[in-house]
Amino acid sequence: MLISLSELLRFKIADARGQKVPLRDLASIISDDYPPITGLFWRQKKTRFFLSWEAVTAVDVTARQIVVRALNEGSSSSSCAQGEAFLKDEVLDALIIDLPNRRTTRANDLWLEVNDKNLVLRGVDTSGQAIFRRLLRGKVGTKPPPEFTDWKQIEFLRGDPHAAQDGAGYRRGITTLQPAEIAALSEALPYLHAAELLVLLPDPLAADVLEAMSDERELQVFEELAEEQRIRLLSLMAPDAAADLVAGLHPEETRRCLEQLPARQSERIIELLRYPEDSVGGAMTNDVVFAPVSLTIGEAREYLRERMKEPDFIHFIYVVADESSRVLRGVLSLRELLVSGAEVPLEQVMKKQVMTLEPLASAAAAAYQLLGSHLAALPVIAKDRRLLGAMTIDAAVALTAPNSWRSQAPRVFS
Amino acid sequence: MNYKLTEKQQSDMEQAEDEATSVAATLPTRRQSFRGGIRMNLRGRSVRLRGLKRQPTGIWRWLAVLGPGLIAASAGNDAGGIATYSSTGAQYGYNLIWVMLVITVSLAIVQEMCARLGAATGRGLLDLIRERFGLGWASFAVGVILIANGGLIVSEFIGIGAAAELFGLNKYIVIPLAAATVWYLVVLGSYAQVEKIFLLMTLVFFAYPIAVFLAKPDWHAVLSGAVIPKIQRNPEYITLLVALIGTTITPYMQLFQQSSVVERGAARRHYGTERIDAYAGSIFSNLMSIFMIIATAATLHQVGQTEIASAADAARALEPVAGHSAGLIFGIGLFGASMLAAAVLPLATSYAISEAFGFAKGVNLDFRRARIFFGLFTGLILFGSILALIPNLPVIQLLVGVQVLNGALLPIILLFVLFLINDVNLTGELKNTRFYNFLGWGTFALVTGAVVLMFGTQILNVLGFDLFGKH
Repeated sequence: MLISLSELLRFKIADARGQKVPLRDLASIISDDYPPITGLFWRQKKTRFFLSWEAVTAVDVTARQIVVRALNEGSSSSSCAQGEAFLKDEVLDALIIDLPNRRTTRANDLWLEVNDKNLVLRGVDTSGQAIFRRLLRGKVGTKPPPEFTDWKQIEFLRGDPHAAQDGAGYRRGITTLQPAEIAALSEALPYLHAAELLVLLPDPLAADVLEAMSDERELQVFEELAEEQRIRLLSLMAPDAAADLVAGLHPEETRRCLEQLPARQSERIIELLRYPEDSVGGAMTNDVVFAPVSLTIGEAREYLRERMKEPDFIHFIYVVADESSRVLRGVLSLRELLVSGAEVPLEQVMKKQVMTLEPLASAAAAAYQLLGSHLAALPVIAKDRRLLGAMTIDAAVALTAPNSWRSQAPRVFS
Repeated sequence: MNYKLTEKQQSDMEQAEDEATSVAATLPTRRQSFRGGIRMNLRGRSVRLRGLKRQPTGIWRWLAVLGPGLIAASAGNDAGGIATYSSTGAQYGYNLIWVMLVITVSLAIVQEMCARLGAATGRGLLDLIRERFGLGWASFAVGVILIANGGLIVSEFIGIGAAAELFGLNKYIVIPLAAATVWYLVVLGSYAQVEKIFLLMTLVFFAYPIAVFLAKPDWHAVLSGAVIPKIQRNPEYITLLVALIGTTITPYMQLFQQSSVVERGAARRHYGTERIDAYAGSIFSNLMSIFMIIATAATLHQVGQTEIASAADAARALEPVAGHSAGLIFGIGLFGASMLAAAVLPLATSYAISEAFGFAKGVNLDFRRARIFFGLFTGLILFGSILALIPNLPVIQLLVGVQVLNGALLPIILLFVLFLINDVNLTGELKNTRFYNFLGWGTFALVTGAVVLMFGTQILNVLGFDLFGKH
């Protein structure tokens, strides 16, 4: 049998000696699929008392009471155990994420299942009917709506980015969504909730979500994270995205982040930060894949196997004179690397006439040049033809698409 | 998709601390051919990094704050505001300027508290009321906001009708047309672009400060009215006082102030600029209101016209600067300000209510997915425009009456704001200081006192008692 929390909160707790007190709240392990109720709370003379659910002997819906062994078994307590949450004070009325419908909404009521003496949280009622039910104190809408949202498909947030580190329980169903979907959801949340959401994710996913957020939201959320997590995420982000992010921080914080990052990532970010924001250098990524011209296709495959694990952009392989000078000699596509014979030298397969960009040229003009070239990226080279990075189609779209469309544009290399 | 760290990433992160000097060795030494950004010392090496911009200082900082503040001040005086300030100037001359100075302090305090609440929590006012006080209180607050904003929406359409009449147009055609246009622009069109035109139209209200100087008011009397409180013991005075409070510290302004801070993405770590913004906005908007009172006092009150019955009467305050075109100039400003508010008020009200109750919201959604949101928005526009079409409305009295209603509902919203800003679990370090609490609760007492006095005198009058005796 299903009963709403708002209805249940009008129940009394009664013991064998006939003593009765109004039920004030319920505690539950909300990280479970269908969280069992673990304790009940009531208030007497301004003190909040807790009684474990083990002391409950029956849930009498007809008499509207929860029967317990003895109320004097209860102890004064104003907080839940670790991993538990108050259903009334914390979950009811809170912002929640409805995962199947990819939307944020409010828990207007909760539905619990009474099974003998056990009580289990089944789902969340987000309907307008739930509001009327509560305002009219159960005079209307006492039956569960045909489709309330199953608790398994809910992510409940507290609005506290540090709650997860402090041991609060979460379902973490959000981790099943794609980064762009999580980023879109986080835009609809208050920034503290969005930061809390990021804390729940594994770092590589969180880094992708950060990259997919709007610039303002990304910065706002990033600043709420603990310093260790900030460093972990920055080191996992694409260098161009990380450079844009740290550029928005307070200079002192930028310095602290850059000093703590792994040297390779820090170096890449600093390199990008040295170019103006509206220049090709400011828009390019310098995490590109390159191979020395002296290699054969087979050797290049071996050489690049490890190097291709990390960068987002691996569509083109830039062929350079040697690893230290990085003077650009040509370019070949990933397809050419895979289909060409292993013994063929790179020099024979690569295209030698390469369209290139200058790092201090206008980013907007270069974006149109790239779109006009119908290529996925153009390499950026210094005056001495040293390979600095590449401007990708993602950057070109971000620079040329109208604002309203930009956030919906697909990212090819992420 | 695999979201585990690769071995390389793992080892990179572990080695990060041991590599403190390696980056410095590889930093390019070539000077870049661009300016901007700031120079910083990184791992012992000095580099200039783009994007790292210092906050503007000196005059630039003030210009950055004052520009938007000035525009907001000219647009903020909607139909109800203009009617109330004009009535005040015509009826009491310069005698109520001191009230505006007191209200300016109160407005700045209240707006700043709401901005702080928005930055500290990232949530709107109705959201916080729902989360902290529960559904019952949230529904009560929603009711208050619906009544206050519903009244204001009616007044905006009355303003549109009044502006139409100043242009010699039929208000029974213009009001429905304006309602349909506002609905279409917001729901199906690109309101953001058209908004700039309305905003531009409101700039004509800068004619008020010019009119003040051209009308050559008695500056001694102005100064005296500003610093010496002259309290009159009559119910009309008290009612206009509440209207002045209601139109200056409107409940919807608290709601919007907080929402706009949330929307701008202001976070608690960067709250400083928001505070200056809130103060500057309040001061500018009230400065413009004071100019309206002085201009009306120097033109209408001076020649013995103490009653303002129509928009044409109110427009005469601009005669020193616009001559015979005063009506036209006033009409343009009134139309722009009213159209701005007629779109923003229903939209923001629908957003806030949908958010508080967890309903789907947003003009980019399909009507079927956000029925309540669109229903509220459409309902509020219909409500406002239909009531404004009632024939022979006493326009100015009605506009002032709506401000009185807003003033009467203000203490309820103020009380929520004061409780929330003092909740340390919500606001943390941005909690009210004792000084702010003194001013905040002082404002609450002032507003509540004025409202109680107004209702008290009116009830006693009905019962046959005259609280102030003969005057």
